[in-house]
Amino acid sequence: MKRIVSLLLIAVLALGTLAGCGSSSTPASSTPAASQGEASTAGTDTPAPAEKGTIKLGVLAPLTGTNAEYGKGFEVGMKMAVDKINAAGGANGYQLELVVKDSKGDAKESSDLARQFADDESVLAILGDFTSGSCMANAPIVDEAGIVQLSPTASNPDYAAMSPYCFSIMGRQDGEAPFYAKYILQKYMGMKKVGVIYINSDWGQSCYDNFKKEADAIGLEIVETVSYVQDEKDFSSLITKLKAANPEVIAIMDQGAVPQVINQIRGTGWDIPITTLGPGTSQQLLDLAGANAEGLLLTSPFFFNEDDKDLMAWKEEFVSKAGFQPTIHPACAYDTVNLIAAAIEASGDGEVTRQTIRDNLAAVEMTGVTGPIKFNEAGDITRQYLICGVENGKYVIKEGFDYSKS
Amino acid sequence: MRQVLDTLKGFYRQHRVLVFLALLVVMILLPVLFPKSYFMGVMCRILIYSVLAGALNAINGYSGQTCLGMAGFFCIGSYCEAILAVKAGWNFWMILPIAGIVTAAIGFVLAIPTLKMSGIYLSIVTLGFSEIVRLIALNWTGLTGGPMGIKGIPVPSFFGFEIKNSRSYYYIFLALAVLFIFVTNRVIKSRVGRAWISIREDQLAARSLGVQASRYKALNFTYGAFWAGLAGACYAPYVRFIDSTFFTLDEGWNILSMVIIGGQGTLVGPVVGSVLVNFLTEWLRPIGQWRMVAYALLIIVIMWCRPQGLVGSSDSILAGRSIRRKVSKDKKKEGARV
Amino acid sequence: MVYVLNQLINGLCQGAIYALMAIGYSVVVGVVGMVTFTHGEVIMIGAFAAYYTFLLCGNNLFIGFIVSFAASWVLGMLVYKVCYERFFNAPRHISLLCTIGFSMLVKNLAQMVFGPNQKPMLDVVDNTFYELGSAQITLVQLVIIATVIVLAVLLSLLFNKTKFGIRLKAVSQDKSASYLMGINVKRTAMLGNCLGCGLGGVAGLLLAIYYQTLQATMGGSLGMKAFASSVMGGLTDVRFSALGGLLIGIIENLGITISSASFRDVFAFGFLILVLVLKPEGFSKKKGAKV
Repeated sequence: MKRIVSLLLIAVLALGTLAGCGSSSTPASSTPAASQGEASTAGTDTPAPAEKGTIKLGVLAPLTGTNAEYGKGFEVGMKMAVDKINAAGGANGYQLELVVKDSKGDAKESSDLARQFADDESVLAILGDFTSGSCMANAPIVDEAGIVQLSPTASNPDYAAMSPYCFSIMGRQDGEAPFYAKYILQKYMGMKKVGVIYINSDWGQSCYDNFKKEADAIGLEIVETVSYVQDEKDFSSLITKLKAANPEVIAIMDQGAVPQVINQIRGTGWDIPITTLGPGTSQQLLDLAGANAEGLLLTSPFFFNEDDKDLMAWKEEFVSKAGFQPTIHPACAYDTVNLIAAAIEASGDGEVTRQTIRDNLAAVEMTGVTGPIKFNEAGDITRQYLICGVENGKYVIKEGFDYSKS
Repeated sequence: MRQVLDTLKGFYRQHRVLVFLALLVVMILLPVLFPKSYFMGVMCRILIYSVLAGALNAINGYSGQTCLGMAGFFCIGSYCEAILAVKAGWNFWMILPIAGIVTAAIGFVLAIPTLKMSGIYLSIVTLGFSEIVRLIALNWTGLTGGPMGIKGIPVPSFFGFEIKNSRSYYYIFLALAVLFIFVTNRVIKSRVGRAWISIREDQLAARSLGVQASRYKALNFTYGAFWAGLAGACYAPYVRFIDSTFFTLDEGWNILSMVIIGGQGTLVGPVVGSVLVNFLTEWLRPIGQWRMVAYALLIIVIMWCRPQGLVGSSDSILAGRSIRRKVSKDKKKEGARV
Repeated sequence: MVYVLNQLINGLCQGAIYALMAIGYSVVVGVVGMVTFTHGEVIMIGAFAAYYTFLLCGNNLFIGFIVSFAASWVLGMLVYKVCYERFFNAPRHISLLCTIGFSMLVKNLAQMVFGPNQKPMLDVVDNTFYELGSAQITLVQLVIIATVIVLAVLLSLLFNKTKFGIRLKAVSQDKSASYLMGINVKRTAMLGNCLGCGLGGVAGLLLAIYYQTLQATMGGSLGMKAFASSVMGGLTDVRFSALGGLLIGIIENLGITISSASFRDVFAFGFLILVLVLKPEGFSKKKGAKV
């Protein structure tokens, strides 16, 4: 019995191996189901007859794993942009098609998929990945293949400079963190002593380093700094540590864990002004922190302004498709597709290749959902930031603040 | 079915060298036949995991100690290479043995306190060790770049030829895997290997026959760590950027599942496991997260039906048999008899 | 000084939760006689059971305890059926690897069923705090410490004063002898396993109200912590395991005080290795579970 079972197992697995072999050695375009993975081909519901054909864009997004919600946001945001472009007759007459693959938020997985895209002649640009780590691991691959990797969210200052084919539109931490130190903490709030709690990741470290540099320059005193690693749940001892240093304000630098930190600070009955750098105007923060988020101040490169009709329409559409409120991340993802489309437009009557997309992308200037975008020499952008706050459970822009006032 | 298998086995036994040579020729020609860099990337992954799973199997499958912290050794090897190459500017070929030796030394140090413990404690200590290594890599910013990782790891060159993509890198991994299998084969057939196996089957009996169990166990650990370190050192220049997130516990489970599924206590087992798991990874991509569920189910099924793994050694304690309670094969009932 | 005292209270509270996890763990290992890697997932399921209960019928802590205990109890039955029952006479490593597989299974299924993102668990206990001289302790911390003490006392009574408890002890010490005494060994082992898992579930609920958040992936490191805490008692002695949990909680928090939270797990595992080097079999004197 056992023997038969194990033989069966071996047979099934061997077949599987062969199938795996077969599908992995052929380009993705010819085996629609077997090797495209989670690929959802995003076309319009009624594809207009494309006059010039289709351009495929590879998407790397963490659809499963710890960053799954961001990956979902990527997918929805990009699909919205593609639908819109295709409905309007395509980019320069080309229909766009997304090939979405799940990188699980894992750099190794991401590299494999980047190779897959690099091999597939029909894929002309890669959008993604979410984390700086994955993007940096893919840099040598896209560099060799000569294909653009345009990340909506990678903010590691080293990333874009790694290759002429690497781009990011998140805006770098050496822009946001100094703004945060100077304008929010020092000028807007008038604080002198700050206690910092940040996540020990590439992103958090880079935030903190830039923040500290600026703080030292403008005379803002950092009285205590504590850090923690990804997936930390218990901040009580860190909060006690911060408390002992008597800061006037708390600065939290993280994305996912910000609500927990806020909850636990308030949970100890400590009533101190809290500010944060990282989550942007995230709805999840409000959901998770509830009333504790009241009075929170933060930076954001853009804001879902309720008076802005187009933006609100975009937000509504996103919520109806994704089932949750957008943060800046899907908005950036939306912009990346438009950037690529603009790069394709710019090629005029010439042939569209990976190289032309790269060259035109570097020169693109446009205003996306997230504001004006223009790449610098390295391949990332410098963003303008706003001061936002939480009032009555909603985000508001802190108006009436004059940035030019020294 | 059985006859076919027996014929195959007979043929393999008679022409072992021939089979290996044929396989090697095919392997060497692979990049020419399938020049796609994605396919070669998958092949590279299969080979590197063959070595890692093989190194783990050298510990788990041959001496019967359950080590769960392979990711830790892998991490040490990778960081060794990256640090020496980027900060000291040494040559890859020079670093390779050094990384192996450093990892082996750490494996030896780890083995010393664990010799007195029973298997379970050893497992958890190796697990803890793996996490400690990762956290040190994450926090010792001065040495390891901390959360920023180490980027721009230089590619090795071979007589002036730069090995920079998966097609050419494949040969490094292939050489490593062949070297590993060859050396381990010699070691297993030597006095040392026989001592490991005797410890696995019945430590008490082995001791009474004069096998110095603790010495051989420490040696076994050192050996496994050495190869994991070499694999790590080869891996770092291949990805060109490493940070601590490459070496999480999940990575350890991944390597372990290859050994479990493929088979313990044979040289072919880990290779089969690596091929299977990696191809399954590609093949099951469409089902996303269910993939991990499929792995988990596979592990449980294997433990129920063939605890020694698909091609593991069948007449050993690994297969759920205890030597002391001699039970004839055909009468042996499955499950517990209380 | 006040500062250190505050950190001690944090450590004590953290340690109390670890202690409860470790108690459950040692009951499982003591009675079944095999090590498990599923405890982290058991804890996670307990937390989620409570979360959905609170969603349905409001933040009633008492009902939450019962539901999380029951949910983890059921999971315990599954674990027993899949990972232990067949392997009582097989070599140890087989059921160990089986529990690893099972833990992967539960973790990934949970991620799909509950979703990958964090869930809030706010305001189950009021945000009030009491001044103890110059130090302060929050109500949540008090509730947690009290719950753990009550459960530990109940468990000890169960083990020493009831027939069922004595059967559990007998099975944990010698399975064949218990069998000869007419005890249904398999059933008892399963119940013991479920009991330990149920305690793990309650620990999960306490964790969730303390951290005010829960996640499908929370089990991983917690299972390790439970294991590390139990090592003091040689994995089977409940009293020493509880002590180990308390110590690890305190050491972690004091460690964080002098360094950073990034090293949290280093302290826990460092402690584990230290204990094992000094006492390779823990501080337990005899075989079997003891309360």
